Amino acid sequence: MPDLRTLRALVPHLLLATMTAGATGVFLRVGLAPAANVVERTSQSGAGAFAGADSLRFVSHPETYPVGWPAHDRPLALVNPYERNAQALATGAKLFVSYNCVDCHGADGNGAIGPSLADGRWHFGGSAGEVFESIYQGRPDGMPAWGGRIANDQVWMLVTYVRSLNGGRNVSTENFTGRAVERSGH
Amino acid sequence: MTRARPAVLVGILLACAACADAGGGAAAKAPESGGVKSATGAAASALASNARIAVPRPGPPGDWPMPGGDYSNSRYSELEDVTPANVKSLHVAWALSTGVLRGHEGQPLVIDHTMYIVTPYPNVAYAVDLKTEGQPLKWRFRPENAQAAAGRACCDVVNRGASYFEGLVIYNLLDGHTVAVDAATGVERWRTRMGDVSLGETITMAPIVVKGKVIVGSSGGEFGVRGWLGALDARTGKLLWRAYNVGPDKDMLIDPSDFKPFYAHDQGTNLGQTSWPGESWKQGGGVSWGWVSYDPALNLVYYGTSNPGPWNVRMRPGDNKWTCAILARDADTGKLRWVVQVTPHDMWDYDAVNENILVDLTVKGAPRKALVHFDRNGYAYTIDRVTGEIILAEPFVHVNWSTGIDLKTGRPILNPEKTTQDERLVKGICPSLEGGKNQQPAAFSPQTGLFYVPTVNLCMDFKARPVSYIPGTPYIGADAPEMLGAGGFGGEFIAWDASTGTKAWGIKEPFPVWSGVLVTKGGVAFYGTLDGWFKAVDAKTGTPLWKFKVGSGVVGNPITYRGPDGKQYVAIYAGIGGDMGLLIAGDVAANLPYDVRERGTTLPGLAKWTSWGGELFVFAID
Repeated sequence: MPDLRTLRALVPHLLLATMTAGATGVFLRVGLAPAANVVERTSQSGAGAFAGADSLRFVSHPETYPVGWPAHDRPLALVNPYERNAQALATGAKLFVSYNCVDCHGADGNGAIGPSLADGRWHFGGSAGEVFESIYQGRPDGMPAWGGRIANDQVWMLVTYVRSLNGGRNVSTENFTGRAVERSGH
Repeated sequence: MTRARPAVLVGILLACAACADAGGGAAAKAPESGGVKSATGAAASALASNARIAVPRPGPPGDWPMPGGDYSNSRYSELEDVTPANVKSLHVAWALSTGVLRGHEGQPLVIDHTMYIVTPYPNVAYAVDLKTEGQPLKWRFRPENAQAAAGRACCDVVNRGASYFEGLVIYNLLDGHTVAVDAATGVERWRTRMGDVSLGETITMAPIVVKGKVIVGSSGGEFGVRGWLGALDARTGKLLWRAYNVGPDKDMLIDPSDFKPFYAHDQGTNLGQTSWPGESWKQGGGVSWGWVSYDPALNLVYYGTSNPGPWNVRMRPGDNKWTCAILARDADTGKLRWVVQVTPHDMWDYDAVNENILVDLTVKGAPRKALVHFDRNGYAYTIDRVTGEIILAEPFVHVNWSTGIDLKTGRPILNPEKTTQDERLVKGICPSLEGGKNQQPAAFSPQTGLFYVPTVNLCMDFKARPVSYIPGTPYIGADAPEMLGAGGFGGEFIAWDASTGTKAWGIKEPFPVWSGVLVTKGGVAFYGTLDGWFKAVDAKTGTPLWKFKVGSGVVGNPITYRGPDGKQYVAIYAGIGGDMGLLIAGDVAANLPYDVRERGTTLPGLAKWTSWGGELFVFAID
């Protein structure tokens, strides 16, 4: 599980993320990205949505709310600053190779060791926020956690690229999500 | 190890010259078009069988006591109730779902009327009571097994089976552990951590037990790990020795006083280190994920090593010893006695991990203690298992990366048009990275003197690219789309004479033959196909005799046993997966109009004929 405090500290940074991505290339070594800005969130725009909430959520799954769940308690949407940004998409495609994503998920994300990213069958959800989560915190079936290892801007560019591969579809899969069920049948 | 194609999935490209006149698309045709028999070479029936299994099976012939049936890995059974005359009456006697839907490589064990089954990840083990109608479970064992392993296994989350020793069922977990389970109770007796899954080190191979030692090897050649073979005390799980396959002599357990490689290029000091640039050997691969054989008279264990890492050869000039090699180690100490590197400086992902079948046979007029090895690189090697000398090496599939094996040096003669060192696109390399044959093991019958070999007819394009080592991620650096080879068929089930290096006959299949083989004294050879057929053929002539469509593609290895009722049974897993079937077993792209997955694959049409599964099918004659 991600460190909740770290994520909280990141939120304002993510919301305010700028389009200052570095160019990519071959990374001979993946070091730690610069530490995320820790911004006091009391005065930040949108901070009220999660102030005091230990049940902080970034990704909305309204179908999971109990009946009568208060309408004002909305999860905080993660916004991809590079949504539909062609330059970020191109950079994301290069990062996809440089960080060895391609050797797990296949050329054009068609799947190999890891699942396809191109068939619209999302194991952990296909929204920008869900894909960000998958890359940032990793997944228990072997997806590495890239949060803190690469810049958050780069994660978002990867999100932009990955989400471009499937034509915006989100369809069901027999390889359905679940800690133990995932990819194993058990 | 082969990993799934990183950048495959471009459909059939009949680009190579060798494929220019291929029919193409045969894989998309009905599988009924398979089973075409083509006799080439000597008629099998004329062969006088002077070859014998070097290490026959211990114990009752009605058991299946170890992964390959015996230490020779012959996969031959003395049972003879099922014959070419009556095999057409074979029918399903019972079946069992394993509850897991991934590639079911490997085979069950049968010992004293109990069957032991290990599933793909999460590596659940079952003990099945064969004495009671309905085959109830004696126990089920669910190991602790890190889920991260599922995403660190290059070529599906397979397991190739267990071994048995003094009341213990011993097998490997995908997350790098070896476990021993009480055969009577299903209680875990010991577990030993052998690999680091966070670095991509997994274990898929079937261990064997030699003189109370469990022989274990690692997987992860696509993740920049460093390969090893280890021995554990079968009673306690204590590590007795671990020998690395790359690195300095000390780590390799090489003692110059008794290390005697046959060929000059394998002789020297610290070659496992000096044949690599800098410290690249530390991420050099050379894992041992295949089958292990054992000769008690010589007290040697035989196994092969995988590809070097990364695939991009510009990053590792040199022979890269001892990747893509066959090794013989002292079973007690692990010391390396001889090694022959069959593909030095591998540029094509030709792991040498395929089984080494130990036979004594006459070659060129002289009796030899041999091991027979069908390598990924497309050559069938008959090797002196005392010295490591290559007695003969002939291609058993179409090979164009090399024009032959120089028996004076032991090295392949390269075709400069098919080398991959320039990061240029090289088209039409045959065989593909799946090899002329992959891990699916062949069988040998002393009756016919023939080896029964499941082969693959794929070629590939190859383009290397720069790659960084990032721990826990793949370390590959190449794109290698595959396509059907000449003739437009996917694979062929062949019979091979290892004393002459010639093919006796073959049966073409629309898809690569990815199951192992069983051959019996009754004169029947069994194999399965990716499109879900389980087949029986006449071991002498190759005449197809019988087939049955099981619930999923077959990548497992058939076995036979005698039941408590005295009948001969034949068992096979159905459960597509492994490297070739990963395209279907995994949630990766397929090519079906009615499937949401869209882009083409190496084997378009396969998903039309089969789907995921995880079942054991058991057959008998009434």
